[in-house]
Amino acid sequence: MSKFTLYNYVLSGNCYKIRLMAGLLGVTYDTVAVDFYPGLEQRSERMLALNPAGTLPVLVAGDLVLSETQAMLAWLATTHDPSGKWYPIKDASLHAQVLQWLGFSARLTTSVGAARLNAMLDWPVDVEAVRSASRKDLDELELRLTDRVFANQTWLVGDRPTIADIACFPYVALSPDAGFEHDGYPAIRNWLYAVRSLPGFVTMPGIHPLHELREDGANG
Amino acid sequence: MSRAYALNDWYVVADAQTLARGPRLTRLLDQDVTVSGTPDAPNVVDDAGRAYPTQFKYGHVWTCLGDASRPLFAIPEADEPGRRLVPCGVVRVKCSPLRAVENFLDIAHFPFVHTGILGSEPHTEVAPYKAEIRDGVDEVWATKISFYQPQAAKSAQSGGDTDYQYRVAAPTSAVLYKTCPPKPEAMDVIAIFVQPRSETECDVWPWMALYDDTSDFAGLVQFQQEIFLQDRSILENQRPVKLPLDPKMEIPTRADLTSIAYRRWLKSKGAFYGALTEDA
Amino acid sequence: MLTRPVGLLRDLDPKRVMRAQVGGQDLVIWRARNGDISAWDNRCPHRGMALSHGFVRGNDLACLYHGWHYGSTGVCRYIPAHPELDPPATIKTTVFSVVSVDGVIWVNTEGAAKPAPVPIASQPLRSFHVDAQSEGLAQACLAVAFDGGAPEQLAHGLYQLGARQVLLLENPLDGERIQITALIDADAKPEDCAALSRWCDAVRRAAQIKMVAA
Repeated sequence: MSKFTLYNYVLSGNCYKIRLMAGLLGVTYDTVAVDFYPGLEQRSERMLALNPAGTLPVLVAGDLVLSETQAMLAWLATTHDPSGKWYPIKDASLHAQVLQWLGFSARLTTSVGAARLNAMLDWPVDVEAVRSASRKDLDELELRLTDRVFANQTWLVGDRPTIADIACFPYVALSPDAGFEHDGYPAIRNWLYAVRSLPGFVTMPGIHPLHELREDGANG
Repeated sequence: MSRAYALNDWYVVADAQTLARGPRLTRLLDQDVTVSGTPDAPNVVDDAGRAYPTQFKYGHVWTCLGDASRPLFAIPEADEPGRRLVPCGVVRVKCSPLRAVENFLDIAHFPFVHTGILGSEPHTEVAPYKAEIRDGVDEVWATKISFYQPQAAKSAQSGGDTDYQYRVAAPTSAVLYKTCPPKPEAMDVIAIFVQPRSETECDVWPWMALYDDTSDFAGLVQFQQEIFLQDRSILENQRPVKLPLDPKMEIPTRADLTSIAYRRWLKSKGAFYGALTEDA
Repeated sequence: MLTRPVGLLRDLDPKRVMRAQVGGQDLVIWRARNGDISAWDNRCPHRGMALSHGFVRGNDLACLYHGWHYGSTGVCRYIPAHPELDPPATIKTTVFSVVSVDGVIWVNTEGAAKPAPVPIASQPLRSFHVDAQSEGLAQACLAVAFDGGAPEQLAHGLYQLGARQVLLLENPLDGERIQITALIDADAKPEDCAALSRWCDAVRRAAQIKMVAA
């Protein structure tokens, strides 16, 4: 029996955060496909009654209805990860750092996420503003991930992946959809690869699987 | 020069849903146009106010910037009862419109780009098939294609061998006929109608006419969108940007018979918009 | 100087692939399972796909589009659509000269790679792009303070920052951009690196503002 229902759009980076977290935790769930584009179904009366924000994803677990991905990631980790490693709340410093990165992930949605929707689906945005914000956010992430390289660390917080990494991963991985390549961002490139290499990783369009990891792939 | 042939074809510039949301400013063959009206009476005008012929077919508004001497091709399956007609919106891609069509015709990439859906290692071998230019109808056709697919359609319950036929009805419009999992005696129809904004950028309008009584509409749209968006990062990373029509520029194999026929057909017609050739 | 620095070896593990540019030539830089580095024309001769999107299997690089495998000499060895076929040797990409010296990867697209000598005992810091030209970058380096003091230029690209030294190796990209591979003196401690990295960021911002103002 599934533990939650995800109102989902296959091309949404925000929905993918939840699909990815569920894959990494080995959790099954029900999906309701919502015609985000071209149907704008997230703004229909039925969907607005469920989520007045008119956004996707929406996560429903019994009486609990969540409309913010940060909350969904925290709930998923708390309810499905007994080890407490994906969302380390016992250590005040680690907990705060995770929250800081969850805040950053919201900025990525409005910068790189918006630039991507504009480039791919002609979504109306202030193009110059979102592109400038995108570069600034990617520069900041590269700086911080470079700090982590100096500390011999792979992940954003602590010494293993947390929901901070999963929250920030999608739009950074998808930034080439908006023309922001990773060539000038070696720390980002390597961190993305580390996430993509995690057991249980699932892909979405724009993020290819690591074919090199396949057991049954030809090696020439 | 390269635009001359292209002008007289019909191109999609909107669908019913975008029409309903108000006028759409868009670009076709480097020309800015505004699309408005209703499916019964669509309008396409340029910024000088000149109006162009229009028609509403297969869920989309089509227009022609030239003399409209070539009629829009027919897809008779669109009128078959029981089929669900599924327009999928539009996706912008920074690539040549011809590269977008050629990718649609290609199957050898399925295991690597549509992994777990349209193909999967180690089932990578492409068996010989037939590709030809049919002079009577002036179209490229590929037939006798069969390929193992883990999930051929939203309606597929399991993996299996899928039969494919491809039809290039115009330089930027292609149709795929493939095994329909719930109704094996029929074929599902999937088309892409490519709107060339310029020689290096296009708006791609996927459309389907399927037999599927169980999937919800959003699920059908997203299945197709997922597949097309997996191709987008390939299309935006091919060089040269324009499609090379002269054989020595890129190296095909036997698996590429459809692409070879498509390039030869384009060259013979002088359909050079979005192409690289010494002839242009 | 034809041999250009394209990045840090630290940032490219075995079995990894990255993209670079030297003198307008688009490159795929990759490492085989055995650690060997290669620098090739970033283009699969099949349908022109960027090989930098590809994946490493064993000591081959495979193209993401159709999985064509290329061996260390840049020649196609395996075509998944035709598993029994021995691909003709004409199916190949162009191979360029690449070496790794003191943790920096250098490429020459016109001959044998001969890295410029690095004037200090060094360790890697980071690699990044700047939207600026060389003179603007040099001016920015002198204008951005480090640890409360003004930097002093010791040589082209080499700066004294308090007790530390930073060497900025330049690889001009298209027209108005440079790729910088930054090294620091070998005596710098890990705790110095974050501050030096931030200085690089500040230099980039200063150089780019100048570009906009100019």
